[in-house]
Amino acid sequence: MSRGMIYKLFFILFLIVFSSLLILPTVGTKKMEIKFSANSTAEEIEAVKKRFSSGGYELNLSEQTLVVSGRNITDAIMNEVRIYKGVSDAKLLKHWVETTFLAKKINLGLDLQGGMHLVLQANFEGIQNKIGRELTEKDKNEISLQALELLRNRIDKFGVSEPSIRPRGNEAIEIQLPGVKDPSGVKKAIGTTGSLEYRLVDDKYSAMAASWIVQNYKDKQLPENYDDLKLIIDEISKSIALPANLETLFFYKRDKDTGAILPDYPIVLEKQVSLMGTDIQEATVDRDEYGQVVVVFKTTADGAVKFAEATSEKNHGRKLAIILDNKVRNAPNIKETIGSGSGNISGGFAYEEAMTLARIIKEGALPVDLKIIEERTVGPTLGQDSIEAGIKAFAVGIVVIMIFMILYYKVAGVIADIGLMLNMIFMLAILSLLGFTLTLPGIAGFLLTMGMAVDANVIIYERIKEEIKKGKSVRMAIVAGFDRAFWTIFDSNLTTLLAAFILFQFGTGPIKGFAVTLFIGILASMFVALYVTRFTYEIISLNKKIKKLHI
Amino acid sequence: MEKTIDFLKYRFIALGLSFALMVSFVVISVFQGGLNYGIDFVGGYKVIVKFEDKSVNEGTIRQALAEFNPVVQQIGENDKNEYMISTKLLSSAESVAGSTTSAKFDMMKLKITEKFSNISFESEESVGPAIGDYLRKSAFKLAIMAVVMMTLYLAFRFEFKYSVGAMAALLHDIILSVAFCGAVGIEIDIPVIAALLTLYGYSVNDTIVVFDRIRETNEVRGKQLFSEVINKAVTQTLTRTMITAFTTMFSVLSLFFLGGEVLHNFASVLLFGLVIGTYSSIFIASPVVMWWEKWRTK
Repeated sequence: MSRGMIYKLFFILFLIVFSSLLILPTVGTKKMEIKFSANSTAEEIEAVKKRFSSGGYELNLSEQTLVVSGRNITDAIMNEVRIYKGVSDAKLLKHWVETTFLAKKINLGLDLQGGMHLVLQANFEGIQNKIGRELTEKDKNEISLQALELLRNRIDKFGVSEPSIRPRGNEAIEIQLPGVKDPSGVKKAIGTTGSLEYRLVDDKYSAMAASWIVQNYKDKQLPENYDDLKLIIDEISKSIALPANLETLFFYKRDKDTGAILPDYPIVLEKQVSLMGTDIQEATVDRDEYGQVVVVFKTTADGAVKFAEATSEKNHGRKLAIILDNKVRNAPNIKETIGSGSGNISGGFAYEEAMTLARIIKEGALPVDLKIIEERTVGPTLGQDSIEAGIKAFAVGIVVIMIFMILYYKVAGVIADIGLMLNMIFMLAILSLLGFTLTLPGIAGFLLTMGMAVDANVIIYERIKEEIKKGKSVRMAIVAGFDRAFWTIFDSNLTTLLAAFILFQFGTGPIKGFAVTLFIGILASMFVALYVTRFTYEIISLNKKIKKLHI
Repeated sequence: MEKTIDFLKYRFIALGLSFALMVSFVVISVFQGGLNYGIDFVGGYKVIVKFEDKSVNEGTIRQALAEFNPVVQQIGENDKNEYMISTKLLSSAESVAGSTTSAKFDMMKLKITEKFSNISFESEESVGPAIGDYLRKSAFKLAIMAVVMMTLYLAFRFEFKYSVGAMAALLHDIILSVAFCGAVGIEIDIPVIAALLTLYGYSVNDTIVVFDRIRETNEVRGKQLFSEVINKAVTQTLTRTMITAFTTMFSVLSLFFLGGEVLHNFASVLLFGLVIGTYSSIFIASPVVMWWEKWRTK
């Protein structure tokens, strides 16, 4: 073996080991941690345990924490458990591969784990009538982004964790909620427009509330769930003896990684509303004379009077909180009296932060109501049936293909089958790296690429056979076979790649998944056939005595 | 040397056969009222409901919901007693702007829960007309785009005459497959579109391997006629064409029989398309290249 071949061997072995590691979080056992609240009863814990009594789960209860491990633990199941009585929190634990290699796991699509998929669109006609002019593409995009911000702000009302909210095209928003139990509640939360208020902050009590949190909640994470947060709010208000004209709320911050809006610290506000959201007419992002990003706003005529009052001398130095749906999203300092009806908010914003704030202010000025234009809900049973059917079809399909290859090509068929297995491992590894969501059409695409993946082997083998017939030695035939087949395989696969790419562009949810599997499957099969299998034959032909090839 | 099969001899028979098939599919489709677009494209409401009451059947459901003129179909195993009930929007006026896609859907769901007790909704889909419109437009646009891109690629890698042959075979496959959907009443929904686009890839892939061989043989053809070159190349690649058709067929068949309700139409279209695609790369694609060549050199 030459040195180059040894390097190649190590490279291939490394790829196989690394890929196998990457797919561990997907195919291996998953763990979920369920925390019970301090006052949960034994029956409540028993009820949760009963949920996992069948289906091959392993349970481990210590104090108030139950760890469930099993193969098919999904976000949907996590969300299902979260609404059990006495459960304060449930979360999936990361596999060690995920934390060490930053790998992700392949998630199941809503059609396989159950859940709700919604596509929303702002009621553009209503807004058009209100502002009295046609909306441009840019307006529509901006309105959709404003609605997106509103939905992110309201995410806790959907009663699920791991929701995905993202724009679809320029004019619609797509929401995926795994394992949602109460579709009508979700629709209600979406159907209401945002309520925006401006209220003055009480610094003295805010400081007391903050120190209470530091004492009592120092290392603990604040609950995302509004009901649980309300309990903390009540506790704070009681312990700092809050006067009746004040109220405690939470300041929310955007998580940099996930984009989720999470509670950060408590803040005490006057109950009296200084300005309503509708008192502001407009908000845009601009730069001030120092080049800093600022949010510029203009009030209505009524609003100007109220604003002048709120920013009058006696309030200078205080903060005016901007509250969307009972969440404090910003609290700028009042520096001077604004009587002209327009002013700006500065605070060393990044551009994106300023855009978010402007959108929140606009939500008060011009509330967007959303309508559902597409809705798909899949129950957990159907999801389970679908995944079982998909896996069965996949397994049977693969086995039949493999048997056929062995029957037809004998030893070479075994090599092709090993290539097929590697292909599968590489494909799963790449999909894991991408944090891919597997849907039923995705499984179909996977199986289909397996059927087509052997094509590369077939082309090569048939070629080698021909070369041998022409009277070439085994070694020469192998080299010629691979060389000649290379461009054939390249050209034919590239057109399929084009089709997959176009499918991806067309893609709505599941079809996108299908296109991605097709695309990656073709790439993986080309790599395996033209690199790994070729290498195998190079090693075989090292044996100079070989006279006959079982093809 | 192996015997070369004279495939080109059958070119007129093949053409006639394809044409006859196409005409009969189209005629049957027209009699059945044209292509049957699914709710993904026209907007509508589809639910899968499980009934505990075993006496429920397709007829009783249809009767109970007569005012919505629903399509009712039992799915899965018999004893599961699950039915798919769907209704389509007849006009965009039926969609009412508000928090849900259409009042009609809410009414139908309400009616189902009123008329039957002990039921559970396994899945629910509602699609507004706006989505359908958007999908139809983009599906068409991308179908055209795919043809253009593949033609360009083939013209670049091969010669233009091969582009013509491959695209003729592709259009042949796609038109026949769509007509097939119309004839047997397969609803055009998103999975079916995915199947059709997969056929795009498969059909061209299959053809190219043959063309690649024609090109190769043509370079060393000597005194052979172009038609002899074609016959030789098709014969040489025949084993490959068949084996790949088989292995792909195995996976599609397994999806067809075991993949469950959701993948059934998807697999049917693929199955038909695979057979047609294999046939066309042998009997349609190459004659077209020959005709084009003859026509150009005249």
